[in-house]
Formats: sequence, structure tokens, C-alpha cells
Amino acid sequence: MSILDIRNLTIELETSAGVVKVVDKLSLQIAEGEIHTLVGESGSGKSLLAKAILGFINPRWRITADRLWWRHYDLLALNPAQRRLVTGRDMAMIFQNPGSYLDPNSKVGEQLRELIPAGELKGLYLRRKADRQTRAERLLHRVGIKEAKSIMDSYPYELSEGLAQKVSIAMAIAHNPKLLIADEPTTAMEPNTRAQIYRLLAKLSASQSMSILMITQDLTSIIPESQRISLVYCGQLMEAGPTNTVLTKPAHPYTEAMLSMSLFGQTAAPKTRLPTLTGAIPTLQHLPIGCRLGPRCPYARQACVNTPRLSKVKQQEYACHFPIIEVASDD
Amino acid sequence: MTKLLELKNVSKYYVHKDGWLPGRKICALEPLTLTLERGETLAIMGETGSGKSTIAKLIAGAEKPSTGEIYLNGQLLDPRNYRQRSRHIRMIFQDSLRSLNPQTTIGRQLSEALLFNTTLTSEEQRDHVMLTLRKVGLLPDHYHFYPHMLSSGQQQRVCIARAIIVDPQIIVADEAFVSLDPSIRAQIINLILDLQEDMSISFIFVSHSAEIVKHVADKILIMHHGKLVEFGSTQTMMLQPQEQLTRLLLQTDLQNNVTAATSSSHSTTQE
Repeated sequence: MSILDIRNLTIELETSAGVVKVVDKLSLQIAEGEIHTLVGESGSGKSLLAKAILGFINPRWRITADRLWWRHYDLLALNPAQRRLVTGRDMAMIFQNPGSYLDPNSKVGEQLRELIPAGELKGLYLRRKADRQTRAERLLHRVGIKEAKSIMDSYPYELSEGLAQKVSIAMAIAHNPKLLIADEPTTAMEPNTRAQIYRLLAKLSASQSMSILMITQDLTSIIPESQRISLVYCGQLMEAGPTNTVLTKPAHPYTEAMLSMSLFGQTAAPKTRLPTLTGAIPTLQHLPIGCRLGPRCPYARQACVNTPRLSKVKQQEYACHFPIIEVASDD
Repeated sequence: MTKLLELKNVSKYYVHKDGWLPGRKICALEPLTLTLERGETLAIMGETGSGKSTIAKLIAGAEKPSTGEIYLNGQLLDPRNYRQRSRHIRMIFQDSLRSLNPQTTIGRQLSEALLFNTTLTSEEQRDHVMLTLRKVGLLPDHYHFYPHMLSSGQQQRVCIARAIIVDPQIIVADEAFVSLDPSIRAQIINLILDLQEDMSISFIFVSHSAEIVKHVADKILIMHHGKLVEFGSTQTMMLQPQEQLTRLLLQTDLQNNVTAATSSSHSTTQE
């Protein structure tokens, strides 16, 4: 049973060049306690999708969807106040440069204490204050920070990026959210720190049945425990399915290309030329019609000027007229 | 035959001054000796604060070494002689947009490098810039473009053009591939491999992507807290790493990820 259910979400932006469909009929389902990886290059609309779920919406965007449901709430039907109540209670988000999302003016401890839900505290002033402190410390312990006292007494600039990301995860889980959206949390981090963050997220997801929507740029940064993966290109869903099926038996040319472009350590001999998609990612003003991968796709044919519909083989979904796998034999 | 680049006991200390008392010495790089042959690629890996960027900056001349000397073709490189150094050693930065001047056209930025390093007339400069733009896969039309009009991949190509325009012997790249999209990154890697073959440039790059390092580098240098941990050819480092840190840094993330994903899903199907 999916707790987040998105069907045919379309986000249109009004630009000087007219209305641009930045996200085009994107579908996404997340089950409870699942880690879902969303992979997309820059300009794929992955961050916009996250913002649309959370409701950080610019009035100039036009958001339409057949379904945008969170548990039993229809998010598009709620008024802003109700929506804020629901998302504020159930969802949280962490960002790419953790250091820059923390308030540089106050100490980590103050920022953490501020986030402890006041409704859960009991007693009078002093008791509440002490309670806040212990709860904040416990939060830091939960994200694997041992010397909680000294971290709480330091300013964000004093923390390394790994620590800052752990602090921002601690802040995100302060009110026990049901869904955590992680927008490229480990880009430009070293492998060691990155592995720590992944282990932490996987542990949190397993122990509290928290769903995680993990947004990344390439296939080298996937949480090992991720159950499902979706690949997005220029706002269109290319392929979605169980992580290991998609990575081992890709149906879509885009997945295949992404795999060979990030996995080349095993497939290509050193110093040989890498297989790439030709050309560059199209800009918003010049999106191709039909399948947006068309101009760069090695298998593109005439039919690709029409947008392919989402086909489903077992649990694997793909939007392509000429998929790589044999579809007929599987059915 | 002399080596192309030779570092002899190069080190870097910073002095942390507190008030008027004599300052505390902070070591960014302990004395390091290193040689590099023509056309070779050296990858520098390490954790943050390991001094990997310091080495890149010292070689490129952005910082002056506290002790030791750097020799290029057996000739001492004077830390203050930028003209000598900028002709032979060029640097590429991580954020391509921020390392380009937003107010001038691509053509002018590229000819500035020629203005400083050569005695070409403005006609010749123009021709040379056009030729270099073609070499890196851009069009002569891009001469008149401003940096913001290009995509991130094209911006990185301009940065590479600015590096190769004076026929250097060494290019130093500090995390030049991190912020690029996978498809663009593969294109840039191909471009660098092509250029290296054509012009026999030596390439020194700082990276923490094991995939790229394995693919591109001839030699790998592993740093930790300003000290050299291990140095050797890519082959030996991959097959027989001596240190735990080397093994950790060179393990390929995705491989583990795929195997982990496969095994975890197998276990779920069995349940």
C-alpha cells in the first residue's frame, strides 16, 4: 500500500518564452518504510517534484495531477493552512549543502531545541527546558553523534559537512516524520562520509518505518538498501522499478546509457573512450516534442516524436517505443 | 633523460597567529618528493584536509611552497615567476561558471591567456582562439558568447580551452568533474583523453571518484593528513593495495551497491 501516490503530475512554468511543461506526467508511488531513489540529471525537474510534494509552491507554477495523495489526504484539494498542517506533521526534507541550510547566527543546540515539538513536553518552565535539552541530545545520539554536548555548543561553520548533514537529519527527524525527502544529500561528499550518511538513512528507515525519497544525480550514489528506483529525464519518467531489476536488466535506453556512463570502471578498459549520449541536456525553452530523450537517444526512430506511454512488465515500468528487453517473452 | 615534473621535499605550513605571540605552525603538507613523466596522468586522492588540493595549488603556482623546490624539465620553477609557470602549467577549477568572467565574451577571455603568454598579433590570436574552440568541440561562433549563454558542459569545455590554448605541458584539475551531469562528465573525460593523446599533455587531477581515477589515471597518490600514504601505478594500487585507506578510497561504490541491492532483494523474495 503506497502512502504517497502521484499520478500524472504536471508542473508548468510561465516563462517569457511561453508556458513550459517542466515536469510532464510523472507518476511515483512510495510505500511505507520504503527507500525510493529518484535519479535525474540537472534540469530533470526532480527538485521541483520534491517541492510540489512538500508544497513549496511558487504562485507562478501551474500544478495539475490526476492524483497527488498523501495517505488519505488529497494534497491538491487542501487549502494552504490544512496542507501545511499535514506536510509539517508528516514530512521533512534535507538538502544538498547542509552547512548553508543551518542558521549561521545561532548555535546548533539552539536550533535543535527550537525544533522539539512543544506539545510533547510536560511540566513547568524549568522542567520543559531540561526536557528539551535531553531530547535534543537524544536526537543527536540517534543520528550517530557521540559528543552531543560539544556539537550543540558549536556554530554551523565549525562542523564538517558530514557532521552538518547529520545535524540536519537530526532536525528533520525531530518530529518523527513519515516521509523524508533527501535532495542530493551527499553530492560532493567523500565516499567515506557518504557511506556513513547512507547507513544512517537506511537505519532510520528500517527502525521507524520512515519512507525516504532519495533524489540523486547519478547512479553511483544510491543507497544500497533502496528498494525502488525511478529515472527521470527532462521531466519525463523514463523507467521505474525494483532497484536491482532496473540496474541489471534495464529496459530503457536512458537507463542503459546512465549505467554505462557511471559504471565504466567495470565495463570499459582504462583510457578507452566512454560511451556517452551525444549532445547536451536541452534547455527549458527548447524541449523536444515527444520523448524528450529523442534527439540524444541511440535507438530513436520516427515513432519517438510521439510521447511513449508507460508500459509495465512485472514490476518494471518504462516509457519507450523501442525498449531493450524482450517484452513479449516476459508477458 | 630528465623528468617532466619533479617535486623535491615540497611542503606547506601555515602560521596561525594569535595576538602578538609567535604563531603556531599548522602543517598542510609534509615534505613530499614526487616525479611525473611526460604524457602521464596522476590522480591525487584523499579525505578532506589531507592536503590533496594543496599539492595541486603548489604545482599550479597558486600557493608558494614553504620548503623545497619544484623542477620542470630539470629547470627550477621560481614561485614568483608567473610568466614562466603559466605557459607550461595550467589549472582547471571545480566550478566552471565561477571561474569564467561573466562580463567578457569567451573569445576575449581566451585571448587574454595569449596576450599574457605569447607575442601574437591580434589577428593571430583570433585565429588561434577559433582553432582551440574547435579542438574542444565548440564552434567558432562561441567566440562572441558570454559564459552564462552556455550549458555547464560547454562552460567546462571553455575552461579546458583556456588551459590548452598556450600548449602547456601539465594541466592541473581540482575536482573538475564533480559538478557535471553523468552524460556530460563522460563527454569531458573523453575530450581530456583525446587532448592528452594529441598533445601529450601530463594531467594531474584531484578527485574522489574511484571510477574516474581507475579509468583515467596512470599513477595514483593517496594522501592522509598531509602525509603520503601510498604512491604507485594504478594497476598495482588496484590489485595490491598496501594500506587500508587505499582500499577504502578505491573501492567502487556502485559495484557494492548493485551487489548489495541484488542480495537484499534476493533475501526479500525468499521470505
